[in-house]
Amino acid sequence: MSDQLTEYAELHGCSCKVGQREVEDLLATAGADEPTPELLLGVGEDAAARQLDGETVLVQTLDYFTPVVDDPFEFGRIAACNAASDAFATGATANLSCLVVLGVPQGLTDVSASILSGMTAMLTGMDGVVAGGHTIHNPWPLAGGAVTATVHPDDLLSMSEATPGDNLYLTKPLGTQPATGALRVQESEFAETVGNQTDRPIDHIGADAIEWMTTPNTKAAVVAREHASAATDVTGFGLAGQARTLAERANVGIELTDAPVIEGTPELSALFGYGLEDGESAETSGGLLVSVPTSETTAFEESLRAEGVFHSRVGHVTDGTGVDTTTLSLEPVSD
Amino acid sequence: MEEVDVVGEVCPRPALIVRRRLDDLDPGDELVVTGDFPPAKENLQRTCEKHGCDVQVLDDTDERFRLQIRVLEDWPP
Repeated sequence: MSDQLTEYAELHGCSCKVGQREVEDLLATAGADEPTPELLLGVGEDAAARQLDGETVLVQTLDYFTPVVDDPFEFGRIAACNAASDAFATGATANLSCLVVLGVPQGLTDVSASILSGMTAMLTGMDGVVAGGHTIHNPWPLAGGAVTATVHPDDLLSMSEATPGDNLYLTKPLGTQPATGALRVQESEFAETVGNQTDRPIDHIGADAIEWMTTPNTKAAVVAREHASAATDVTGFGLAGQARTLAERANVGIELTDAPVIEGTPELSALFGYGLEDGESAETSGGLLVSVPTSETTAFEESLRAEGVFHSRVGHVTDGTGVDTTTLSLEPVSD
Repeated sequence: MEEVDVVGEVCPRPALIVRRRLDDLDPGDELVVTGDFPPAKENLQRTCEKHGCDVQVLDDTDERFRLQIRVLEDWPP
C-alpha cells in the first residue's frame, strides 16, 4: 500500500469539484434550484444563510475534498481552512464550528488521526471548534466538514450585489494546482523536465502553495464586510470560473486584468496545461474575490494593509455580461 | 503515425508523457493520444494548442478520448 496520500485519488483538492454546468444541470433535474424565501442565501451561493433574529444570521456550508498534498496533517489543515472559507466569503466569522467529514481507505486508518489533528489545529487557530463529525471508509481519502458561523444581518455578504464600476480584489495569489501537481511528480521520471521548467526549486513553490492554502480568509472577511459590495472565494472553478459565477449572480460583466500568482507556477501550468494564464486553473483554499465600490477602495486597501492581509487588484466590474480575460496578465509573487 | 496510451494516468502525468513524445517529433509529424481521464483531454488540448501544435479530437466518450496532435513549425515552445 502506497505511503503517498495523493496516490489514492485521481483528482486532487478542489479540482475534484464537479463542473459548474454539471452542478446546474443536477440541481435543475432534481428540482433543487427553486427559490427558498425562508433563507437570506440559498442554493448557488457560497453558503446558506438564515436570519435567526435581529442581530444574528446563521451561515452554514459544507466542503470536503481529496488530498492535495501527501502530509496528512497538512491535508487536514488545508481542508479545514478551505471549508471555513465559504462561510468567511459571506462575512461570517463568529461562533465558528465544524462537523468533520473524513473518508479513509481501508488499511489507511492510521492517517485519520493526523488529518483530524491538522483540522483541529487550523480550526483552533481560526477561533473555531471541532463540534463532531463522521468518518467512513472510502477508496479515495476525503476531508472537510460542515461549517457554521454567524454574522450580523447588516454585515452579510453575497455575490449578487457586485455593481458596475466596482474594483475586484483577490486576497491570495493563484497557482496551487500547478504547484501541488509538480510536488506529485518531483520524485518521478519527470523530475528533470519539471525541475527545468522554472528557476525556482519545486520544494519552494510547493511550500509557498501550502502556506497560502493554510492562510485563513478570516481577516480578509472582516475587512470585506466593512467595505465590499460582494464577495466569494476562489476554489475549484479557478479565478475565471468563480468570476463567471459572480457575474451571473450579480447580472454584471467582469474584466480580469491582473492576477497575482505564486512565482514559478505559470511555467509549471504551461507544461501541465492547467490554464493558469487564463485564470482557469483550479485553486484549492484560495483567496476571497472581493468587489469594492471605488469610494471604498482606499479604505479597503488601507485596512487590509493594516491587518497584514495580502491583496491585489485583479480587475473590475462592468455593465456587460460574462468574464473577459483577454488582457489578463500574471504578476509573480514570492514570500 | 506515432501513438501513445495514457489510459490510467492522472494529471499532470498525461501532459508530461505526451510532451516527452512530442519532443522526439519533427514539424508535420503526428501523434495520436488515447486516454481516459477527462481533465487530461482538456489540459492536453490547451497546452498543445498554445505551444505549437494542432489538435483534432478523434473520439470523445465517457470512457475514452483520442486526440490527434500535429506538430507545427514553431515546436518545441
